[in-house]
Amino acid sequence: MFRSLEYKVGLFILITSVLIVSAIGYVAYKKDVFSRVDTYTLASFSGEDLTEGMPVLLSGYKIGRVHALELGDDGRILIRIKILHRHAKWLRRDSVFIINKPLIGDPRIVLSTGKMSSPPLSTEAIKEVVVANDINTTIKKLEPVVERLNRITINIETLTANLVDPKGNVNQILRHTETLAERLARTDSLLDLALGNPDTVSAVQEALKNTEEITTEMTRILKTVDAMAVKSDEALYGKDGIFPSMRTLLVDLVGKLAKLDQFVIHVNNVGANVDASTKDLGVLRRDIDETISTINSLVKELDRKIPFRKEPRIKLP
Amino acid sequence: MKERHPENLGLVSTDIPLISNLNVWLNIALIRLYHLSESRLQAKRVVVGLLNRFQKREIAGLRIAALDHWERYLVKLLRAAMVQDALIVIDRPFRLVPDLPDAELIENSLTRIDDLYFSCRILDYSWNRDRYRIKDVSES
Amino acid sequence: MVTFIEGIGTRTLKLCRSAFETLFFTWQVILHLLDLKTYNKATQLVIITQLYFTAVQILPLFIYISALMGLFLMGIVLDSIKQMGMAGNLGNILMGFIFTEVCPFMTVLLLALRSGAALNTEVAVMKVSKELDALNVFRIDAFDYIVVPRILSGIISVVLLNGIFTLVLLASGALFSRMIFGLAFDAYIRILVVSADFSDLVILILKCATFGFFITLLPIRYGLTASNELSSIPIAVLTGMNNVFIAIVVIEVLSLILSSI
Repeated sequence: MFRSLEYKVGLFILITSVLIVSAIGYVAYKKDVFSRVDTYTLASFSGEDLTEGMPVLLSGYKIGRVHALELGDDGRILIRIKILHRHAKWLRRDSVFIINKPLIGDPRIVLSTGKMSSPPLSTEAIKEVVVANDINTTIKKLEPVVERLNRITINIETLTANLVDPKGNVNQILRHTETLAERLARTDSLLDLALGNPDTVSAVQEALKNTEEITTEMTRILKTVDAMAVKSDEALYGKDGIFPSMRTLLVDLVGKLAKLDQFVIHVNNVGANVDASTKDLGVLRRDIDETISTINSLVKELDRKIPFRKEPRIKLP
Repeated sequence: MKERHPENLGLVSTDIPLISNLNVWLNIALIRLYHLSESRLQAKRVVVGLLNRFQKREIAGLRIAALDHWERYLVKLLRAAMVQDALIVIDRPFRLVPDLPDAELIENSLTRIDDLYFSCRILDYSWNRDRYRIKDVSES
Repeated sequence: MVTFIEGIGTRTLKLCRSAFETLFFTWQVILHLLDLKTYNKATQLVIITQLYFTAVQILPLFIYISALMGLFLMGIVLDSIKQMGMAGNLGNILMGFIFTEVCPFMTVLLLALRSGAALNTEVAVMKVSKELDALNVFRIDAFDYIVVPRILSGIISVVLLNGIFTLVLLASGALFSRMIFGLAFDAYIRILVVSADFSDLVILILKCATFGFFITLLPIRYGLTASNELSSIPIAVLTGMNNVFIAIVVIEVLSLILSSI
């Protein structure tokens, strides 16, 4: 029984121990625990941020670590670093050791290999380390940026204050802009902008000018007609008389102007997105409406003054 | 936990039980294994030889619970005899082996291992004097 | 009110006395563990027997439970890692959490439940049946014969079984890494090796040894508190097992603090 028991226990211990030791040994081997290491000494005026176990990197690859920190006779900090023997070839007499303190992460010693033709670094030599403080460098780089940001902030504050102040420059500019916009609304140039076709604009302008001329002409004719009315009823009120012809002419004109009105409405729609242009077109529309209204009232006045009779009036003796 | 006893005391008593998680031969050999650091095989050989003196070698591998009163007495006696130059003290043998008519078997068992102990004392009540058939009984 | 205050005082004193006795007992055990004279043939035999009962006999069940746990645990953990987009931290999570925290904890829990309770009862029964007195009569030191071999086998068992548990979980991890991340075995091992720290492995072994020490020491210590009455056995076992679980939690917390320093 005991032979069997001892055999089982022995087998268990043997197999398990071999497995565990192999696993640990493998990790130790991969972690270079058994590798030969060389000890070098570096010196620094400050031991700040230096810790035992700190990595020594070459091109971002760990080749060793800080083994011990000591205070030297001259008051400097002596940093004993252990470098794997197979990486010792990268340490040359002109190599530079930089203590790098990154903004995020732990500090590390970075090796900058010198010329490979340079003699190998002796383990007895004491190399001075260079401190490259990422935080300070970053702060230095950031200083002018921060200063500019400060100025921008002050400017923004001034602008905001100006915006709030009703008598401020910005509000004044806005008022001026409003005035200017009103003025612009009255100019033809915006009509150009709204229509896009200079020919159409000239046509509209031409039509308006003609209407104006017609109105003037009509006024003049009415005056003449008034003078002539007394002279001959027949000549005026006859079928081919002057007044029926004039009425036909005026009705035609009203029709044309109505068409022009529609055209303006269309143009108005086209320019609906442009407020200032809409204002211009509105003005134009009003001009046309006024003209039509004037002509209509003229026709009415004609009708009132010279009634058109279908049956010739028979004058009794 | 500790109580001082004479170094060579080999007590056989109902108050000093056998170790329940050990089998017969280990109960007997324990003292040799512990004090003499004797090898297990050697100790077993000795124990089996001793059991054979009582024609009981078959009980060597048994657990204590499997033994009768007489076998338990024998195991306790042999365990006591394992002490170097043992002073064997048998405490009330008829409590250990209640169905014995007299002490003949007790005496016989002591005779068979007389080479193993220096001295032997049997402690019992005076009313059991006749069961021993011996003349030099001291009373206290 | 006075009775209440007295009650607090009595409990505190009892607790302090118990803690002191446990510390003293621990100190004595350490002394005996370090004493070469302890390791005679009888003690060696007990060590082997205890190793058999604590580690070898439980092995098939232990491997089965480890495999089952490994499948569930690694499946869930690796799936969670993928869902949380933490695949880059796979090695650190496995090494820093699963293998250094979960494995020892599960191992010690299984052993405490099985062997801790058994030891506690065994010693309590030996005390009640005066077997310890029998050892004393024959000048067999109970520390050497009962306590030290059991504690030593407890230490060895926890360390070795934790190794087995870890290996089974490693295998499960390899399986699930391939299934979930499509990770080849060598890449999986490389990730683990990169994340592993040699000092962490040493701490892990020390932690397992400490676990093994206390999950056997406390049941024995409280088993010895049993009186001559049979009814004292369950009380001794109850107290012992309570203290074992408290000790497991305390050691786990201490190891976490230690590894975070």
